[in-house]
Amino acid sequence: MTAARRRAASACAACLIAGCGSVDSPSSAPEPSPASSITVGTALASVQSLSRALDDTPRSIDPQLATDVPGQRVLDDLFEGLTTIDVAGKASAGVASSWESSADGKTWVFHLRPDARWSNGAPLTAGDFVYSWRRMVDPGTGAEYAQGLAAIDNALEIAAGKKPTDTLGVEALDDHTLRVRLNGPTPYLLDLLAQQYMYPVYEPAITQYGDNWVRPEHLVCNGAFVLRENVLGSRMTLEKNDRYWDAAHVRLQRVVYYILTDGSAQVSRFLAGDVDWTDSFPANQRAWLKSALGEQVVNSPYFGNYMLGMNFAQPPFKDNLPLRRALVLALDRAPLARYMREGVYEPAYTLMPPLPDYQLPLPDWTGLSTEARYALARRLYAQAGYSDRHPLRLDLDATMLDTGSRHYLEAVAANWRSVLGAEVHIDEREFKVLLQELQLHKLLLFHDAWIGDYPDPYTFMQIFYTGNGNNHGGYSNPHFDQLIDAAGQEADAGKRFRLFEQAERLLNDDAAYIPLYYYATRHLVKPYLRGWQSNVMDRNLSRYMYLLEHQGR
Amino acid sequence: MLRYTARRLLGAIPTLLVIVTLAFLLLHTAPGGPFDGAKRLLPEIQKSIEAKYHLDEPLWRQYLRYLGDLTRGDLGPSFQYRSTSVNEIIAQGLPVDATIGLTAMTLALAIGAAVGVNAALRRGTRWDYGSMALAVVGISTPVFVVAPLLILIFAIKLHWLPSGDWVRGSPSHLLLPAVALALPYTAYVARMMRGSTIEVLNSPFIRTARAKGLPLRLIVWRHALRPTLTPLVSFLGPAIAGLLTGSIVVESVFGLPGIGRYFITAALNRDYTLVIGITVLYGALIILFNLLADLCYAWIDPRVRLR
Repeated sequence: MTAARRRAASACAACLIAGCGSVDSPSSAPEPSPASSITVGTALASVQSLSRALDDTPRSIDPQLATDVPGQRVLDDLFEGLTTIDVAGKASAGVASSWESSADGKTWVFHLRPDARWSNGAPLTAGDFVYSWRRMVDPGTGAEYAQGLAAIDNALEIAAGKKPTDTLGVEALDDHTLRVRLNGPTPYLLDLLAQQYMYPVYEPAITQYGDNWVRPEHLVCNGAFVLRENVLGSRMTLEKNDRYWDAAHVRLQRVVYYILTDGSAQVSRFLAGDVDWTDSFPANQRAWLKSALGEQVVNSPYFGNYMLGMNFAQPPFKDNLPLRRALVLALDRAPLARYMREGVYEPAYTLMPPLPDYQLPLPDWTGLSTEARYALARRLYAQAGYSDRHPLRLDLDATMLDTGSRHYLEAVAANWRSVLGAEVHIDEREFKVLLQELQLHKLLLFHDAWIGDYPDPYTFMQIFYTGNGNNHGGYSNPHFDQLIDAAGQEADAGKRFRLFEQAERLLNDDAAYIPLYYYATRHLVKPYLRGWQSNVMDRNLSRYMYLLEHQGR
Repeated sequence: MLRYTARRLLGAIPTLLVIVTLAFLLLHTAPGGPFDGAKRLLPEIQKSIEAKYHLDEPLWRQYLRYLGDLTRGDLGPSFQYRSTSVNEIIAQGLPVDATIGLTAMTLALAIGAAVGVNAALRRGTRWDYGSMALAVVGISTPVFVVAPLLILIFAIKLHWLPSGDWVRGSPSHLLLPAVALALPYTAYVARMMRGSTIEVLNSPFIRTARAKGLPLRLIVWRHALRPTLTPLVSFLGPAIAGLLTGSIVVESVFGLPGIGRYFITAALNRDYTLVIGITVLYGALIILFNLLADLCYAWIDPRVRLR
């Protein structure tokens, strides 16, 4: 461990994930997989060419315009920020080899590697980061994630067109030193810097080619790979970047991303031996895949959750804590997850998925037996004024669902019907229609899901803050908002987490939402693919991966 | 005939204009916009993005702007795939769909016509019943069953052919998608050819030829084949236009870079320009191939006069 890496690890120990917590990760010792005919050797394969499946076409491979997971996967290979993601999914030193922060946590100075270069050989300087971050918040760029830079001084004012871009809290002290000013202590800064929208872009290419700078023939990048070919909707071919500062440790010569929007197509490509790593597989195929492929099926916790939201501004949920609590209590989450989601996902009782050092504030009712919980739910339901004669009749609005999710929600409704007698009907809507109705606060009970950008409670808690654009239910509790504000000004990581835990307890007490399950990553991975580890942020850089000699598919 | 063609092509312009207008209005009336995502943007940021794509202008101005660009052959930028233009998407995808579509159609015509004519000539025999039973199976088996089945057999079990992907000029990558796509068309062509052959064989001019003592082979090749093609030609016009613009199922199962999938994904993502662009393309192709079909009638049937 170099000094820089050690510093990187200690500076953000509190806000990172300590372990990958994988349920069944590929074994580390080379051995033949029990359920397939692949024999894996110990030496490196002579051809280091990796084939990965992607769930969708990246919407853009311009770091500042990309907003989706497929885009992030490809960009993680093409570019590198001040920090990067290590094999376990944690932030670690990237273009910056070391850094220090002021006592109040509001000013950070980053020291860039002198050997950092662009793929065309030009030196990568602090000025490149200044240009790129200003470009991100410049309203003319039209970056959808401009608010991702909110922690940096003046970022939101610039994005809103109220201040010029050169007022952004970032400056190049010299070619290799960058100073960043923040508007509050931001313990997750190192994770934030590894987000794709914080990656540097090469100004001369953008000036010369405009929107076309992302084409393979013009793209200049600074990551472990360069783009050779981009067949929209089908395939992206990357080749090793020999000018990358750590190129000596990159073993793959080539990475091909195949875009396969159909989960079953990913499975068949994998079975045919044409793909080594899939982005996902259909959850309802897990059982037979597991029996056919054994250890090659990898599920592990993912930093997201699936829940139901309730409308706090309208009846029946407005000022009706007993009803909200009755719906939260009258579900048997563990069997629902086991039987209706094939055990791929873990039942959820909190807003935050498990995160090291964060004590999940389990609601009081989790200690009750199923019978006691159901009895309490029935009492609350009656207290809210409902009965067998006068049952709750309500639509649950969800976006167009795959079969598995639809069955799951049907089972949730059936659970409520059997315990409470409530009649909940699943109503499917097109995603854009659902979004618009959510934003107009028209829906009463609705599908809601959230995936955290970086391993920190704030990414989840913000969605219940009064007036937040993603607070679709219109939940508002001044005490909750105060705790979130206080956490935003707290520099001590431990104290900050305790504030978030208190805030989450308020959400439990208010029955602010109905937790259902935590998300999980779903990959198929060939046994000869190494240097790969499932992690809670589900970010897997090809830079660390390599292929072992093998026979069979 | 030249005057007829020119008149038909000129007549296509108002039709295309109606298609563009309807597509434009329908899309803009649908709830939600291209930049409404799962994560809500700050209102100012949303506004600046919409301004970048002129979505903040009144609808009539956006419409006129689009028509102006369209006359210059510019289909605009895609909203869903930032930094990519609709022209690029079509230029990249159309040749792929055209290659697969035309291969599939050639297969369908060659096999379908042979099977259909044969069945008609051996009407009432086991060959006839057998091939028509197969044709019913072919028509009623959806592509989303056939395509994965072909992959299972030829890619996963036998390892003879790749399980997908597109490599220009590679027959092995073309074969499975083309066969999957051709199957229902083959069955359809076979049934249609059988029907029309039987009808033609019963017509007076064939009876005359038989009475003159001509051998059956000569009758079929020289006299019967051309008139049997009439129903096929009316079917082929729209069918080829459809095949050229791609199949959603075949593209997603084999992971092909065609444009068929955008009919759905672009509409769901409110990628206005991409949807309208593909709709206009599809409309233009239908008009073009219907015109070609009409020109073919004149060649097949001497009684048809194009005016």
